[in-house]
Amino acid sequence: MRIGDIAAFAAVREAGLAKLLPSKPRIAVGMGTCGSGNGAEAVYSAFSSQIDVRGLAIQLAPVGCFGFCAEEPLVNVWVPGRPLLMLHGVQPNHVDAILNAIHNGTQPPAEIVLCKIEEWDHITGHVKYGTGFPDVPNWNEVPFFSGQVKTVLRNCGLINPDDIEEYIAIGGYQALYKVLIDQSPANVIEQIKASKLRGRGGAGYLTGNKWEFLAKAPGPEKYLICNADEGDPGAYMNRNEIESDPHALLEGMAIAGYVTGAARGIVYVRAEYPLAVLRLEHAIEQARAYGMLGTNVLGRGFDFDIDTVEGAGAFVCGEETALIASLEGQSGRPRVRPPFPAQKGLLGKPTNINNVETWYNIAPIVTKGPAWFTETGSAKSAGTKVFSLVGKVKSTGLVEMPLGTPISTFIYDIGGGSSNGRDIKAVQTGGPSGGCIPAEMFDTPVDYETLAQLGSIMGSGGMVVMDDDNCMVDVARYFIEFTQAESCGKCVPCRVGLDKALRILNGFTVGTATMADIAALDELCRMVRDTSLCGLGQSAPNPVLTSLRHFRHEFEDHIVAKRCRAGVCEDLAISPCENSCPLHMNIPRFLQLYKEGRLEDAFLSVILDNPLPASTGRVCQHPCDDHCRRAGLDEAVNMRDVHRVIADEVLLSDKFDAVAARVAERKLEPTGRDVAIIGAGPTGLTCAYYLALFGHSVTVFDSRPAAGGMLRYALPEYRLPKKVLDREIELIERLGVKFQFNVSVGEETTLNDIAHQFDAVFMAIGTWKEAWVYLPGTELTGVMAALPFLETVSRDEPVAVGKSVVVIGGGNAAIDSARTARRLGADVTVVYRRERKDMPAIPEEIQAAEHEGAKIVYLAAPHRIVGDRNGQVKALEAVRTKPGEFDKSGRRRPMPTDEVIRIDCDTVILAVGEKVDPDFCKASGLVLKEDGTIVVDRYSLESSRERFYAGGDLISGASNVSNAMGFGKKAARNIDKRLMGQKRFASLIPDFVYEMEPPETPSECRRHVPSELPAAKRVGSYAEVSLGLTAVAALEETSRCLRCDIRSTER
Amino acid sequence: MTEKVKVRIDGEVIAATAGQTILEVARTNNKYIPALCYMEGLSTVGACRLCMVEVSGVARLLPACTTPVQEGLAVATTSPQLESYRKMALELLFAERNHVCAVCVSSGHCELQTLAQEHGVTSVRYPYSYPRLPVDTTHPRFVLDHNRCVLCSRCVRTCAEVEGAHVWDLAGRGVGSRLVSELQRPWGEATSCTSCGKCVQACPTGAMAEKGFGVEEMTKRRAAVSRLTSMREGE
Repeated sequence: MRIGDIAAFAAVREAGLAKLLPSKPRIAVGMGTCGSGNGAEAVYSAFSSQIDVRGLAIQLAPVGCFGFCAEEPLVNVWVPGRPLLMLHGVQPNHVDAILNAIHNGTQPPAEIVLCKIEEWDHITGHVKYGTGFPDVPNWNEVPFFSGQVKTVLRNCGLINPDDIEEYIAIGGYQALYKVLIDQSPANVIEQIKASKLRGRGGAGYLTGNKWEFLAKAPGPEKYLICNADEGDPGAYMNRNEIESDPHALLEGMAIAGYVTGAARGIVYVRAEYPLAVLRLEHAIEQARAYGMLGTNVLGRGFDFDIDTVEGAGAFVCGEETALIASLEGQSGRPRVRPPFPAQKGLLGKPTNINNVETWYNIAPIVTKGPAWFTETGSAKSAGTKVFSLVGKVKSTGLVEMPLGTPISTFIYDIGGGSSNGRDIKAVQTGGPSGGCIPAEMFDTPVDYETLAQLGSIMGSGGMVVMDDDNCMVDVARYFIEFTQAESCGKCVPCRVGLDKALRILNGFTVGTATMADIAALDELCRMVRDTSLCGLGQSAPNPVLTSLRHFRHEFEDHIVAKRCRAGVCEDLAISPCENSCPLHMNIPRFLQLYKEGRLEDAFLSVILDNPLPASTGRVCQHPCDDHCRRAGLDEAVNMRDVHRVIADEVLLSDKFDAVAARVAERKLEPTGRDVAIIGAGPTGLTCAYYLALFGHSVTVFDSRPAAGGMLRYALPEYRLPKKVLDREIELIERLGVKFQFNVSVGEETTLNDIAHQFDAVFMAIGTWKEAWVYLPGTELTGVMAALPFLETVSRDEPVAVGKSVVVIGGGNAAIDSARTARRLGADVTVVYRRERKDMPAIPEEIQAAEHEGAKIVYLAAPHRIVGDRNGQVKALEAVRTKPGEFDKSGRRRPMPTDEVIRIDCDTVILAVGEKVDPDFCKASGLVLKEDGTIVVDRYSLESSRERFYAGGDLISGASNVSNAMGFGKKAARNIDKRLMGQKRFASLIPDFVYEMEPPETPSECRRHVPSELPAAKRVGSYAEVSLGLTAVAALEETSRCLRCDIRSTER
Repeated sequence: MTEKVKVRIDGEVIAATAGQTILEVARTNNKYIPALCYMEGLSTVGACRLCMVEVSGVARLLPACTTPVQEGLAVATTSPQLESYRKMALELLFAERNHVCAVCVSSGHCELQTLAQEHGVTSVRYPYSYPRLPVDTTHPRFVLDHNRCVLCSRCVRTCAEVEGAHVWDLAGRGVGSRLVSELQRPWGEATSCTSCGKCVQACPTGAMAEKGFGVEEMTKRRAAVSRLTSMREGE
């Protein structure tokens, strides 16, 4: 079978084409490791047996992977004359339908059809499949594939990797033949140099130069090595390349053998890639049989052979000198260069090492020429690069893009953005040798130089996307743990330095680190980077150094606040729910106390964590739900509604007096210190409550006639009945907090006056100033802002709302306004410029608004308000939008279209956000940000003026109740610490004794949700909508808790 | 290779032979560059990284023991950064294993101790590892104390390159690396060992010592090993 002349070559090519494009239909199942892991073997055997049973004339073949890992198993179906159809998520139960469709000449079920390929450019050859299926998108119209340039992956997933004839059919080995027939080695080297191809292993050294060194090196014995020791966590492109298209690698190496004068090639491949090894060895055997390897290759008098050597999996063996040591049978330790492998390599002979992917670029460059190659990519980094896009994006898989493509294209356009709706905060490139690039820098083009400037590297092409649930300290710790375990131990900085760096990082994750540790870690990592012997040690500190550069605040959080926002560092939290709660409520504790039937203890536990448990039990955004581990089994525990039940059972019953007295017992001795609080909203109330418990004398000032702030004046009665709030405030008053209402700071009194009378001042005036959109018509009668509207209604004062109301906005204030207007008898339409999933309002509230008859128009941006000749609102005109590119918030930017809609109305309520009104602190010397919020220390909440603290929306901008209260609690702790010189918070909490064994069998019930007032009864009434859980349901809900707060004592 | 080149070390122009390393040129001209894994007469491994120097025109630091000199090369043997890194490397060595000078046979004659004194290492900023390590006393004349080993591999190279026995090698990886004799058998059972004792003389610390010495009593004749190789060069 050895091919010795052109005629024989052409005959094999014809034979291959007859397999690739047979006269009968062809089904090809993607059977890389990824496909097989998702059940491709079962799909293949189902096809095989059905074709057999039915006696169908269909050709069945295994192929490699086309790269869309999230949609495996992928199956190609081709019927002569029609396009190749790519099917995704194929399972054995789809087989019948697919075979029927082929038999009937129809399209397989739409839900498994991904795309079609009408013709394919294999670069070394061109295949025309056919036309048809107008409704199926072309492959490059699928977002995941759009913009991809498949050079390296040109054959992957389309040809049978176990059949050399299919490879020859699409132009394989032609480049080798061409080189052997009519090109001088020097000429080929010139071409590779002109193509500016750089090593794809990560270092990016020019391949042409490397080859030239080897070609010029003396001696008959030279070696070519393919480095397939792909060991980075999260990277698997080389595995897929070999599994899907092994011959392209062999061809690249054979060409290099000819031009550099090497007679032997070795592929050093990880033993952990058994399928790749198997296919590669099979390919080598076939290549020898067909005369592509061995003596007298293609009858041209050139001898070259390739062997595989399996590596035992040491990461350091990816380093070229360690790899050579490993090949020589020694332990895999790098040695110093010079001498370089091109001078003294394997067995002391001149050697060239290139990464797998580098070899895949050789045949295309030889076929198409260097000018074609440099057309793609950026000026210094030509061509394409395969990346494995994994982590928190919707579409994961292998992505081949031109070098220089911005990171945002990978994450948003190809990856489809966040997989779970959380904010993407960083991408890690280059694995353990690379670094984390923050979301603010996603415009960065991905090429060798730019990534290096950011402290990362391209590496072999791993790209791990991280969101708010990833702790950057833990990520850095993880990679250092990896590299310190993989360090060979030869040089001191890497061996000992990484070990010490890991110990320091461990200190961060358990809360024992100090600020000095940040400096020590930074210094140590620089030393390891600058003085280590080989690439492993020199690049291992990159994950730490980039995290310190871009995410220093997370390290500081772990030290100062002993807090891991992502909730990854378990030692810094009681449980995931507690960690996510802005008030850090010990949720498992009150659930367990209630479960044990100890209502009053449960209430005490709740109220000492959260002074407004009944209010927050109704209106909190419940971040705890998003982090509950029970959600992994079925649904999150309804923690919010349980503490509402606990609070209601005490606050609204005759138990109130007794329990209030128990709370008052917790008060510490009077300190004689006076603290002023400005603003009686949830933030101010929380701070006042804790300061009173600490024994300070507290006076709260507010410009309104009663306490509660937004809870009283912005939240409608049907969500939060005032009698509930009144009880909570009464309890706070019983602790001795004094209120001065109708005092507007800045008018009746000034901050400077207050400063003279008090030992400390806490400012929490919230965001009451409506952000006004600038659109024509806002001056018309009938246009109002949401907060004044809600406040007027809550004060029971008359409000001029017409019969048809349009609300502009998508936050809670918008939905509250809409539902309130419905209760006033108006027809309501909410206009929002983005999609529903982008709305900041609580989803349950949006649903409730719809139940109550409010219409919501999505993807419409207000354009102008139309008035009649009396200056009264007549209609709202809005421009239809369509989702555009992803913006910095990770949501799609609304892009205007030509379509304008008109909604007739007589009232327009603007609910487009609220701002701080900074007038109150005039002449106080406080430093403000541009948006009017006050600048404070992140940890102590002290402002630029000593003894002046601030919290809530005043420092964060408009947020929500529990976030605001969290600031109040934190401020109280810090003010007390400042006044008393010690941390006293723990002494407020009694020693609760409760069961600390995890339940053997947690309740199997689904989540309990409170019943609601029927929608028909709601309109025209301010009765509370949510009826709360029943005591029985609440009790059952507590037994659903998995008790993440209990840790094994054995660690 | 007798081509003469001129290099500049800390500003002073020095004549050298091409192919010599920076460290060799420096030492023959009384320019001090610290080193621990380097020993005259043995092959170089570049493991301790104490001899890192700045070479003008090269952004990275380079190890003096393995970098050959070229015409016009300009070297700075010290700088605040180099000093800081050397000090850190020494501290890392102290924190890695259990170096207790007060009870060590080599105290006062120990290269690690001397380097620490020269570089002003008065305390260690990193957490000590305190690994539990064995002491191999199976050899009738010598003792190997892993607590004091810095993994410089001078004994490995001495035995392989000078004595030709290759009793020693390094096993394991990372901080788990250990010096092993023969097939990981106790030193006393290593049949390839000729008991010549050159490894003991090459050892920079008290990790290898002759039996029968008390604290501070073990002095070593390192020059003797180096002299052996230099005498053989003529052969």
